[in-house]
Amino acid sequence: MNEETLAIRTTGLTKRFGEFTAVDSLDISVRRGSIFGFLGPNGSGKSTCIRMLAGLLLPTSGTAFVNGFNVAKDPESVKSTIGYMSQSFALYKDLSVSENLDFFGEVYGLKNERLRKRKDDVIELLAMQPYVDRRAGILSGGWRQRLALASALLHEPDLVFLDEPTAGIDPVARRDLWNLLFQLAAEGKTLFVTTHYMDEAERCDDIAYIHMSRLMVRGTPIDLKSLPEVSPEGTRRLAVECPSPALGLAALRDQPFSLDATLVESEVHLLVHANTTDEEILQAVRAAGLDDVSIRPTTPSLEDVFVSLTRSLNSP
Amino acid sequence: MRANPFRGLSAVARKEVKHLLRDRASLFMAVLMPVIQVCLYGYAIDFDVRHIPAVVVDFDRTRESREYIQRLHATEYIDFDTRADTEGEAVDMLRSGRARVAVVVPPDFARNVAAGRRAQIGVFVDGSDSQVSLRARTAFLGVQAGSDVRVTTTSMVDPRITVLFNPNSRTAVFMIPGLIGLVLQIVLTALTSSSIVREREQGSLEQLMVSPVGKFGLILGKLLPFLVLAAGEMLLILCLGYFLFDVRVAGNFALLFLLSFPFIVGSLSLGLFISAVAQNQAQALQLSIVTFMPAMLISGFIFPRETMPGFLQLLSSVIPLTHEVNILRGVIVRGAGYGELWPSFTALFALSVLLLAAASAKFPKSIQ
Repeated sequence: MNEETLAIRTTGLTKRFGEFTAVDSLDISVRRGSIFGFLGPNGSGKSTCIRMLAGLLLPTSGTAFVNGFNVAKDPESVKSTIGYMSQSFALYKDLSVSENLDFFGEVYGLKNERLRKRKDDVIELLAMQPYVDRRAGILSGGWRQRLALASALLHEPDLVFLDEPTAGIDPVARRDLWNLLFQLAAEGKTLFVTTHYMDEAERCDDIAYIHMSRLMVRGTPIDLKSLPEVSPEGTRRLAVECPSPALGLAALRDQPFSLDATLVESEVHLLVHANTTDEEILQAVRAAGLDDVSIRPTTPSLEDVFVSLTRSLNSP
Repeated sequence: MRANPFRGLSAVARKEVKHLLRDRASLFMAVLMPVIQVCLYGYAIDFDVRHIPAVVVDFDRTRESREYIQRLHATEYIDFDTRADTEGEAVDMLRSGRARVAVVVPPDFARNVAAGRRAQIGVFVDGSDSQVSLRARTAFLGVQAGSDVRVTTTSMVDPRITVLFNPNSRTAVFMIPGLIGLVLQIVLTALTSSSIVREREQGSLEQLMVSPVGKFGLILGKLLPFLVLAAGEMLLILCLGYFLFDVRVAGNFALLFLLSFPFIVGSLSLGLFISAVAQNQAQALQLSIVTFMPAMLISGFIFPRETMPGFLQLLSSVIPLTHEVNILRGVIVRGAGYGELWPSFTALFALSVLLLAAASAKFPKSIQ
């Protein structure tokens, strides 16, 4: 793939702060018009990476092209063609929705008729008409995020960075925001999203998972779930349904056949040796006094993927 | 794409004006502070101490001794409201603070005066307040005893003193001009010191950094509204001084503003510098207090620099307020112009450039 079809391409992107390597030779590419999920534990280097891609931090080595511009050589062009929605609400609480939009529009060089047009467009897109004259400080979390997104979209960036856009907002607002993101992606915008929610990761076209400053894995959610490290040869994944899943988990977790056990909704998800029979599992559950148990094969969730990958990295 | 360092200047300036107008506490401080300070310094502080309470122990009890006390009383510097019977009693009154001065007239007072001899009296002065004791001591100098009021001085030199510029030595004339400088520094430094650190705290600084706003667009955009505020502040204090204390500008009004310009820029830069190094708003406020406390004490605003030890004089010469006070007193009280004040102006200018450079250097690095 070339620059025409890629919104972001990094090669060996590295950032060191003294002795500490925050981002270690990262190679990622993000297709135009895709939703790219950038995942990893807190402190894994996600924010440093975004700051380099946004032209705020100079890479120590390696290169990064964003919208075709080299972030080290032409950060101004990068800044003009990206939108950025930060983790916490970063607009002015004492200014109204309309004034915040005016300010950021002008900073990006929008004027007069064009500014008015773009403002109307984003207000309509985010359905913010009733709130235009309200101070940002009194908006609820969900509406603040909408305002932040509106502000990030004003100057029609091709690529928008969203750093944990749904942290701390209610489920309805979360779903609304994702519907908006899908709509934006459908219009051809590239969205670079960080999140800790696995259901949000499932909604991304591509995922990169970084751990301890290094890229651990990347691909589509389906690719990742079929990685050999996630379901190693000689194992199988099962979903055990029982009346009290918590008791079931306690009964199954420490069994010799059990490699990994966790609760997903009201089921116990198990990773077991392939030669483990259903009867052995049933026995273990019944020993805990649980009846009415059913077992079926299942596929790994993204959570399973990251848990198994992180464990396999942490254990020598 | 070439970066325009001034990009976003007007947008930032207009945004800052909105912040300022909506921040009741800051606005309150900007307006009320000069009013309070002018009233405090204008009404409460009067170096021309009068009506010092005194006690008299008159062992002479003659017409002459009573007349002498009466003359002292008539100067209005010392009020003889109380009497005591013994010296010890009088000193006790000094210790308790009921009197500041005790006068002991010996029994031979009238006799000595009548004989044309030097009549001695004992005067005890409470030295715990140096202003009061100084004034009390000088109050006795001009008052003579006996019918012959015009006693010849022993000195052959007869100085004819003319006090220029502030002939009545009014404290307000001394205080108000300097106060303009102090208030400007406090208000401007305190207000700007929170500006960057506040943006950092609320996360908007990061949002600004990812935008193409220019470094100078941001710095100047934040400074410009305060220039206007500063001019308003000066005008407000000058008006208060004129209407409350009849302090008039002897020199050129426009020149006063022009010569003060570097001081205003310097105070704002100092605020921005603090804002760039402080971790949070509380720290920024503390730092700005730390900067104006010594300025107030050693700039010559209250105490004459001439009496300070050498190293303090040296230190005060790198404090902008020192030069600004000199300029303000020069133009307002002495009617001086650029021809007389250029050394102060030049020093201020250099200090301001230094402060602005320091503020720009400390500014968040990512904004280029």
